[in-house]
Amino acid sequence: MTSQTKTSTGLGSAARLLRYLGMPIFLGLACAALYLYVGIHGLDSIEQRSLNANILIQQTARLLELAVVSTAIVVTLSVTTGILLTRPFARRVSPFVIGLANIGQAVPSIGVLAFLAIAWTIGFWPCIVALVAYSFLSILRNTMVGLRQVDRSTIEAARGMGMTKMAVLFRIELPLSVPIILAGIRTALIINVGTATLGTFIGAGGLGESINNAIRLDRTVVLVTASGLTAILALSIDWLAGVAEDILRPKGL
Amino acid sequence: MRTTRARLTQLLGLFAVLTLIVAGCGAGGGGASGDIDLSGAELTVGSKEFTEQLILGQITLQVLENAGATVNDQIGLAGSVAARKALESGEIDMYWEYTGTGWITYLGHTDPIPNRQKQFEAVAKEDLKKNDIKWLSPPAPANNTYTMAVRSEAYDKLGVKKLSDFKQLVEENPKEATVCVGTEFSTRDDGLPGMEKAYDFEFPKGNVVKIDEGLIYQQTDKGEQCNFGEVFQTDGRIQALDLELVEDDKSFFPIYNPALNVSKEVIEENPQIAKLFAPISKKLTTEELQKLNAKVDVDGQLEDQVAEEWLKENGFI
Repeated sequence: MTSQTKTSTGLGSAARLLRYLGMPIFLGLACAALYLYVGIHGLDSIEQRSLNANILIQQTARLLELAVVSTAIVVTLSVTTGILLTRPFARRVSPFVIGLANIGQAVPSIGVLAFLAIAWTIGFWPCIVALVAYSFLSILRNTMVGLRQVDRSTIEAARGMGMTKMAVLFRIELPLSVPIILAGIRTALIINVGTATLGTFIGAGGLGESINNAIRLDRTVVLVTASGLTAILALSIDWLAGVAEDILRPKGL
Repeated sequence: MRTTRARLTQLLGLFAVLTLIVAGCGAGGGGASGDIDLSGAELTVGSKEFTEQLILGQITLQVLENAGATVNDQIGLAGSVAARKALESGEIDMYWEYTGTGWITYLGHTDPIPNRQKQFEAVAKEDLKKNDIKWLSPPAPANNTYTMAVRSEAYDKLGVKKLSDFKQLVEENPKEATVCVGTEFSTRDDGLPGMEKAYDFEFPKGNVVKIDEGLIYQQTDKGEQCNFGEVFQTDGRIQALDLELVEDDKSFFPIYNPALNVSKEVIEENPQIAKLFAPISKKLTTEELQKLNAKVDVDGQLEDQVAEEWLKENGFI
């Protein structure tokens, strides 16, 4: 408590602990509340077919799979593209690529899904393509913004010290833009969990199946449970990404 | 003060002109509905979002307008539940609902009644008593029930012509027993679980592909991911894509006859509506609805034109 820095780090770690533990506790309580909510309802045969452990675990796992696979692909693609587009030689093509990414985000996912189902096939992969198209822009933009905000003088100093362009990229530019890139990835993951529920329309499975079904058959218990689980999944992923962000952020930033 | 007054006079003038215009339009009605006059009545027509519902909604709207009523258009509400809730809350005054849907989805029964007339009477009686919703009699003879379809090229090869043939296919050639269904169908008692139970077989795990109902027709025609598909019997694409229907030889699937649902209050105020729609309802057979649906889904015509053409052809307007 003697100096300003000590106070802020002391408070910071307490707040951080609360943040690390608060969310899991809240999500655990939300799960318990959902369980109780389903428990006090007498389920008819239609509800039983959606609300059983087997189906719910299978649908949650599928939704997670859709979100994680699509995010892994989109991160690889868009971070690479972002790096290439911020190199001097790509100055001319960059508006064109960003325009394409803009289209990907502007076209409604449900339309992309329907188009892919008719023009290509149904199932897991067309859904992944739609999710990648949809979230490409948010990571690309953050990568480019992140790389561009790195102080020119830092880069020049590094070059002056004799670092190669590659070394500057990997040891200076990328570490310094990690927080902004990670924020983009985090947003993309959350968007993908929500959007992946639309995959049900083209046979990609996931919790969207139960949500869609509940809306059509007016089964509120199923709707609340499936939407609740989707939200819990999205928040858990967000929490994990937050922890990852803290670990990966370079010290001193 | 003067400006307020002037504005008020202007508004009143505008109002008078509008009233004249509206009255003029109302008086222009009349036609084949003959002695039934609904002028002065203001009614709101709704429907669900799929083609058949849009056409039925347009038919209703045009017939009411023709009889002189002022009609608000709420056609194309998203899904059965949205339409039903709108009717219950009075946002719409009427829409076409199917007997099986009313019985299972809204009244919460799990077992359908296999006789068409008895099913109608049961649902009409209970819905009027419980929810003040009047099902106009008679229901249309069209039966928009679920059924299984297969592309005609594979119809003979797979050898499933009746639903009871599935048992053999699943035992001898499980790889070919693939099916595309909507999620709704996959959990309904009158859907896949009930069908499998009634015909004593089960599609192999992983062979059931759940997709949007609208995409099933085209996927079934392609035959890549699924040889069979859950379809609606009155859909125009069955004929257009040359799909063969698998016969429901044990009459397992419920009966889905469309009937106009009107809120009790509205039908009591305008009892002529029942008389107006009785002859139209009788005319709506499965074949007739398939033809109307195909005009929209296959030929790309607009629902309101298809409805108008049909009403004129049959002398209803």
